[in-house]
Amino acid sequence: MRSNAAALDLIWDAAILKTCDKTQRWVLPAMHNNGRELVTMLWRILGNEQDVCDAYQDTFLNLAHYHGGEKPKNIKAYLFRAANNAAVSILRKKIARKKLSNNLAQRQPQNPANRDIDSQNLQENLRYFITRLPEHLRNVITLRDFAEMPYVQIGKMLNISADTARVYRCKALQLLAVWMNRE
Amino acid sequence: MKMKTTTNICKKIRNRLYNAISKHIGPDADWVQNHIAVCPRCQQRVASLGRVHLAISFIKSQPHSLDLLMRANTQAVTVLKHSLRDTPEAQKLKKELPEQNLFEKCAKYKSPVANAAACIAIVCLMKIGIFSSMQRFQTQSKQAVRSYYAANAGQDIADEIFTT
Repeated sequence: MRSNAAALDLIWDAAILKTCDKTQRWVLPAMHNNGRELVTMLWRILGNEQDVCDAYQDTFLNLAHYHGGEKPKNIKAYLFRAANNAAVSILRKKIARKKLSNNLAQRQPQNPANRDIDSQNLQENLRYFITRLPEHLRNVITLRDFAEMPYVQIGKMLNISADTARVYRCKALQLLAVWMNRE
Repeated sequence: MKMKTTTNICKKIRNRLYNAISKHIGPDADWVQNHIAVCPRCQQRVASLGRVHLAISFIKSQPHSLDLLMRANTQAVTVLKHSLRDTPEAQKLKKELPEQNLFEKCAKYKSPVANAAACIAIVCLMKIGIFSSMQRFQTQSKQAVRSYYAANAGQDIADEIFTT
């Protein structure tokens, strides 16, 4: 009888927990705990403050609607991956728009002599080529170089080992180097 | 516990092996550098990798405005449920500015702490190491010179010189 009551208690507790989760109160602490790092990473990927705000908003909108309001097992991993995807899709749209306007304006190609010292151009190129990387390589390079996370943490977030993360970053850098050299 | 110590030993061995190998086959190894110096293709590869690293450094060095976190939070809170938007936590998030972490907070005390540590280290060295060893060295050399005089000029002269 007592054990039955205890079992019922547990069920009741679980029910309360579930309804508490439905209120999504955990979203705000998640924002407080990861906001700073997320904003830094997004800023480095996007380089535009309004885009950062938009990607950040998309990220938390996705978090709030994850499986009908459920709390993800690893909130940090979910947030960083979602932010990464949101940032890359914004960047792709921006690049497509820029290409279109460049085609319309028929702009003259830049003087190759100026290319080496133009830091703005270098940054734009890198951002463009990062969007072209395969997802697994892109995730590692953004988490490692823009969010400045250790390989062990990246491995845990992406469900790979730290050594695999290291190899992926190396491959990503090689690809970026080849592409940037062709430009 | 035993398992943990074994893992630590394994890690140490792995690190030592890596350090030993990287000296001989890493990018900084002499033979690699010598090859790069004469090979145009490798020079191009290294230069393009350098461009990527340079671009990453440029991106990382660009600061964003101080209120960006606050603006991003404000915009993100607007898409949450009404019950969440009006909570005190949400209001607090809307005014949140980037906080310095402990390491950054302590960074300004880095040089005074380093100076103090250096002073303490010098005092300790003087107290324990330098003074005692200097004294020992002085007495030992004195004894050596005294025995030299005793052997060559006689014990009386040596006593006379070193007692005065």
